Amino acid sequence: MQTVACPQCGADVLFRSPALPVRVCGYCHALVVRRAQGAQAMGEAAVLPFDISPIQIGTMGHCFGLDFEIIGRVRWSWEDGAWNEWLMLMADGDHAWLGEAMGQFMALREVELKNPMAKVLRRLANGTTVVPGEKATISGHDYVVTDIRTVTCLACEGELPFTAPSGWEALSVDFRNKDGWCASFQKDRREASLYLGHYVTLADLSPRNLRTLPGWTMPAYG
Amino acid sequence: MAEEATVRTLACPACGGTVAIRAAGYTVTLACEYCGSLIDVAHPDARLITRYAEAQASLTIPLGTRGSLRGVEWEAIGWLERTDGWAAWEEYLLFNPYHGYRWLIAQDGQWSLGTMLTATPRYDGGEMIVDGRSYSSFYHDNRARVTRVVGEFYWRVKVGEEVRSRDYVRPGFMLSLEEDDREQSWTLSELLLAHEIRQAFDVPYPPRWWPGMTPLAHQPSPYVQRIRSWVPIGAITIVALLVLLTLFGRTMQPQTFGFPVTPDGASVSQSFGPITVPVGRQAMTVETLTSNVEQGWVDIDIAFVNRKTQESYEAYALNEHYSGYDSDGGWSEGSRSQTLKVASLPAGTYDLVVDAQAHHWGSSADSSSWNPIAGRYETVSQPPVDVSLTVARGARFLSNFWLALLLVLVPPLLMLVLHILFENARLAQKDGPDPDASDWIRGMANP
Repeated sequence: MQTVACPQCGADVLFRSPALPVRVCGYCHALVVRRAQGAQAMGEAAVLPFDISPIQIGTMGHCFGLDFEIIGRVRWSWEDGAWNEWLMLMADGDHAWLGEAMGQFMALREVELKNPMAKVLRRLANGTTVVPGEKATISGHDYVVTDIRTVTCLACEGELPFTAPSGWEALSVDFRNKDGWCASFQKDRREASLYLGHYVTLADLSPRNLRTLPGWTMPAYG
Repeated sequence: MAEEATVRTLACPACGGTVAIRAAGYTVTLACEYCGSLIDVAHPDARLITRYAEAQASLTIPLGTRGSLRGVEWEAIGWLERTDGWAAWEEYLLFNPYHGYRWLIAQDGQWSLGTMLTATPRYDGGEMIVDGRSYSSFYHDNRARVTRVVGEFYWRVKVGEEVRSRDYVRPGFMLSLEEDDREQSWTLSELLLAHEIRQAFDVPYPPRWWPGMTPLAHQPSPYVQRIRSWVPIGAITIVALLVLLTLFGRTMQPQTFGFPVTPDGASVSQSFGPITVPVGRQAMTVETLTSNVEQGWVDIDIAFVNRKTQESYEAYALNEHYSGYDSDGGWSEGSRSQTLKVASLPAGTYDLVVDAQAHHWGSSADSSSWNPIAGRYETVSQPPVDVSLTVARGARFLSNFWLALLLVLVPPLLMLVLHILFENARLAQKDGPDPDASDWIRGMANP
């Protein structure tokens, strides 16, 4: 853990993961980027709009065979909606993402995009479009394209592995297979990345410290 | 954390009414509950999408209503009406922040609970497989169009919005694929039991199916369960019938009487008794045997005559026997014994009155001869025919057994006919090849 003073407002900014370079200041929403010497403000993150997600920074649970704690979030929007990508700090120091859209959760880990790439991914990387229902073989498994959207970063909070300025645009393509596995391909102007994982329910994560939502009974997770 | 409300409000840009957002952060489109206008809440400043003059439809489940289904509390937050050009149905969007979304689909008064799938179904041998259960193709290429909308949704729903859909069914379940150019999604809906949905959201009971009504594609035939539940009842009834038949169909206390009758002679009348019927009403069996009748017949009239009331219960038997030789060899026909049954004789003491007359068959030359002493034709005295009667209490009316069996079988046969009518009406809506027997058998499967 490392504490630095926010370059913009001077408040203490706590970095919990030594691997993550970016954190949003909890007070002034400045994007604080950690350098070898101190920290630097990289602009301001937008205030997150009110939502009633059951996840919050500090939620803990079990995923990919490891304990995790939620330490950051990016909220993405597309033309007709928005969703959350929660950053999980895994017990082994690595990180993974918990995507939350339409009340469904996807646990995803970044994998290296290496050759030979799946045909569909190669086409996507080259800027060609694909259509829903198209089949793709990723890392030896069959998937189907379920969703293609251009997404925009709305806001972020907590610690992040990259700077996520508001208005940052990317192409996002989701894949699913018959066993509940999923893959997500994201590409912005500079680079492309691939995430692999599977769908989970809240109960699968045995979560603790979920957000209390007044008026709703929090289920007892074992 | 301070208690913060989960419901946010905003002023409708069209009518100024206070509109609640129940799934903030997920909801994109909100239809004002007062004026029906569609409000875009995806962006910080709520914008008006479409202004509707029409006030909100009166909903079976008012938005904001909560109900528990299968142990989870859900809030109805959105409602839309869709049509595929043939049928119209309603969909309620249910929300629980810890459990996500479900769809409550209402069509023809029947309710189904829809869950979006996260795994794509597997295609195998013309059927879709989800969790090891197979679903057969029902509707091929439908277009579902939104006709009315109220409440909030996680996507920008618009009146007129259209998706391509395909549906696969098994009794009680429907698997649906909806897709447009950007997204493909699978939903599995399960038909809810009448009491389940009634308990959860206090909606009217679904209507009963009658011939002439069109069932839903995934509605299980209500007769399957009834036919199944009849099986043990029917089996018990048949066993009971067999027991009754052997216990009470037995004949008891046989009494035998006999007398000779001369062929072509006068009718012989004899009375036997007493025959006692101790209690209630009793069936009687009379066996008439004419062991030596040959080339002739015996008419036997019997009557049970009540000694007290002189009431008479009658029956008639014809015993006959013929034989001879022709080019094919020997032949014989006729029956020398008959069993007569007299049903329900009231209790009392009876006489059995028997009138018997024997006849010999043949030409007079055979049966008569000239008696020179008497100077006339005389009947050659044929040997007398012995008439023997065995009277017993009780009778086995097999026809009654068959009638009872038929009555026992009527309900399941009727239900089977109704089941086939139901399945025909259901399968008539199916796209693709005409339904065959295998579809009916599928329809018999347990939901």
